[in-house]
Amino acid sequence: MWAHVLNALLGIWLMASAAILGYSDAKTITDNEHIAGPIIASFAIISWWEATRVVRLYNVPVGLWLLLAPWVLGFDNTTATVNSMLVGALVTGLSFVKGKIKDVYGGGWSAVWKSDTLHAREARKQPRTNLK
Amino acid sequence: MSKEEAIPPGWSYNPASWGQRMPIVVAAMVGFAIATYLALFQLKVFDTVWEPFFGDGSRKILTSKTSQMLPIPDGALGAIGYLVDALAGVIGGIRRWRTMPWIVIAFGLAVGPLGFVSVLLVILQPVLYDSWCTLCLATALISVVMIGPAMDEMLASLQYMKRVKEAKVSLWKAFWGYKEVQGRVI
Repeated sequence: MWAHVLNALLGIWLMASAAILGYSDAKTITDNEHIAGPIIASFAIISWWEATRVVRLYNVPVGLWLLLAPWVLGFDNTTATVNSMLVGALVTGLSFVKGKIKDVYGGGWSAVWKSDTLHAREARKQPRTNLK
Repeated sequence: MSKEEAIPPGWSYNPASWGQRMPIVVAAMVGFAIATYLALFQLKVFDTVWEPFFGDGSRKILTSKTSQMLPIPDGALGAIGYLVDALAGVIGGIRRWRTMPWIVIAFGLAVGPLGFVSVLLVILQPVLYDSWCTLCLATALISVVMIGPAMDEMLASLQYMKRVKEAKVSLWKAFWGYKEVQGRVI
């Protein structure tokens, strides 16, 4: 989970960095950060919980985009380029950290459409009484 | 019926227990209170709005074109959304993942779009209006924090629906929690 706390903070940092690092006038750069920042923070926060830990991987394409953005969008500010690439590399790397899963979830999301999963096997073992 | 028997098969805990649900309900109520305050400003009940960090930011955002796109201000829509989330979190007992899947699935689906719209509005603030609104950011954070903990319960309900399907019991009756299908599938 620590990795996704860091990613949430990196997303918030992106929202604030233009004002802190002093390139607020560069509209393309700041727009890019103000769009990517909230998305990264949201996906990171959703993946704090074990049942939705898989959402961390949605941040991989966003992180990779931050690595490419300075070249695709033609950043003319070195600080912003370094910031975007550094945050992009960190977010991408941290997104792959799965962390400990201590609870059991009946086989997870794939068990909703797959057959013979943990929850189905466990349910078969239980006596089928009239549970009102 | 013991609390252990309320745990879904193949799970280590019950995602529909009150300990799991109450924090989400409290978060939704806080969201409701803040959104109501912002809506009252937008409806001109209050002349000023609390803004500790971004100067005229809150006023700019809350009176912007985007906030008035719909017949009622976006703050009021948010308040309704949080109220629906809080209600959907409170209704039903600790076995509701199988006794009333409709409310659990509705709860999961209500939390999702509210979070999505909040994040979209957070993006639009600086991109379209070059300003931020502190309380709007706070409500967005609340709606994003609610998504994760609401999803585990929905997962338990969806797995139950899968077992209902495999047992060839009516999905419709199980979804609405008809008495006649209760207990036929665990």
